[in-house]
Amino acid sequence: MPSPPDLGSLVVDEPTRFRVDGRIHTDDDIFELEMDHVFGRSWLYVAHESEVRSPGDYRTATMGRQPVIVSRTEDGRLRVLFNRCMHRGAAVCRADRGHANHFRCPYHNWVYRNDGTLVGMAQRSGYGPGFDRSELDLVAVPRVATYRGLIFACLDPDVEDLTARLDGVAWYIDQWADRSPLGTATVTTGVHRYSYPGNWKFQLENGVDGYHGNYVHESFARILDRSGERRRQDVVRTRNATNERNVSKGLPRGDALLERADGMLGTFDYAGRSDYRALISAAHGADRVQDIVTQRNILVFPNLYLFESHIRVMRPVSARETIVETYPTLLDGVADDINTARLREHERFFGPSSFGATDDMEIFTLNQTGVAAGGARWLDMSRGIERERVGGGGEVVGHSTDEVPQRAIYRRWHELILAGAR
Amino acid sequence: MNDGSHAGPPPMSRVLAEDLLYREAAYLDDRDLEGWLTLFTADARYWLPMDAEDPAREPSLVYDDRARMGERVFRLLDTPAHAQLPPSRTQHDVTNVRVLQSNGPRARVAAHLVVHEVRIGDVSQVGLAVPRSVAGRCVYDLRCEDGTWLIAMKTVRLLTRELPQFNLTFVI
Repeated sequence: MPSPPDLGSLVVDEPTRFRVDGRIHTDDDIFELEMDHVFGRSWLYVAHESEVRSPGDYRTATMGRQPVIVSRTEDGRLRVLFNRCMHRGAAVCRADRGHANHFRCPYHNWVYRNDGTLVGMAQRSGYGPGFDRSELDLVAVPRVATYRGLIFACLDPDVEDLTARLDGVAWYIDQWADRSPLGTATVTTGVHRYSYPGNWKFQLENGVDGYHGNYVHESFARILDRSGERRRQDVVRTRNATNERNVSKGLPRGDALLERADGMLGTFDYAGRSDYRALISAAHGADRVQDIVTQRNILVFPNLYLFESHIRVMRPVSARETIVETYPTLLDGVADDINTARLREHERFFGPSSFGATDDMEIFTLNQTGVAAGGARWLDMSRGIERERVGGGGEVVGHSTDEVPQRAIYRRWHELILAGAR
Repeated sequence: MNDGSHAGPPPMSRVLAEDLLYREAAYLDDRDLEGWLTLFTADARYWLPMDAEDPAREPSLVYDDRARMGERVFRLLDTPAHAQLPPSRTQHDVTNVRVLQSNGPRARVAAHLVVHEVRIGDVSQVGLAVPRSVAGRCVYDLRCEDGTWLIAMKTVRLLTRELPQFNLTFVI
């Protein structure tokens, strides 16, 4: 494992240059530190409330590498339980979602209520009067809280409250959620899942990278040009424009944004439909319409992205393997044809057979190939460092193609790694 | 025919179905994607569903109408689609062909499909030189137009449809 001084130089933050050591994408010891100190100490997104609406609903999730069950208990509360029998450690829940009043361990038939309480042990007479059952309930993840339908949990009991944690990014989550006139969304049953043979942070960096679009997604721009939806040069011009409508942002806790008021993809533009705008205006106020329809990719560090069409979750598997899940959302309260068209556009750019995100995944494999060349060591993320500015809310703001988000991500990442190593 | 009535479509048989499906496989494996498109009707659909088969409310892996099929081919042949640079080498193996229904100019055919796929480049690089096989069960809705059987809808239920996919950018 790199010694603490080595850890200190993994991120080099200078006035005109920002560099990251490429070993953060290859080193197994650094990955272990990430599991303990990034995923172990941060609020993590685990599920959406629409997936566990009714008492008895559950779905499984992973916190870092730890399997958990997100359970809506009989009294309507949310609990996040480690998916591990308190007897000999077998998982008590095999399905990824479902409805159950109890979780039963198949190994020796220990039975737990869906709030984790142990209610049955097979052949109980084998345990004597001195045997203490009081600590044999399924262990609950210590912190669980929700915001705008997003369920977060944290393995660290001493973490700050979710409200404090989301300070700054909450306003953007509100705009995202209020694309529904009811302010709520329903995630679909179908989940698009990708795996790629590369480090999870390549996806972390990429979703708020406004610099790559004209190059990695030239294929998609040509498709839009061919279909007549948008001329390719207009896509390029929109992405490159320097104005307040076209920015990247970095927030203190590693959250980040790519924000393009005029749209990023030039695809299905329900935000321009007068009936949709009237609905949003009536529900949320005319003064909020532009804020709500501005297109944003929102990163809630470390494992959640909110895109217009979907919720995206990053699941690190190892230093060199990652699973990405995208959960398309249906906006509650809008016309059905809008949601159907949103699904088709999602499949078109973001699906596993799509014309967009698949090209990003290919880049991640190029990244992973390249960083094996440790002789070159550094990754440069300096773009825009001399033209960024600090906004009213303490956020750093740059051109949409600048690496403001990547700097925010790695400052926070480094802070957590160093704090953990102390 | 000797009584002067119009010739109906040739009735669908397993041999005819196999001929069509093998031809499709050859187009795909030869990367003649424009040729592949000629096997489909103008209102065709190419569908890779996931478990929840409700396109209005649920995502699919692929739910292409004819226009999007054209986009898919255009992307693969005429744009810098990084996920296909270098392109996939594929082998579509079609088996278990059955005629499920045949009714005048319409027929439904089922088949099993295994696509063997690999991308060759610098074989030491991450993501390349990893041979994979994608298996699925196909249903073809066929329509006879002007004496030619065409594919009106191709549905492929992949064995791995709920699993994480790595580079499903070639045509199944």
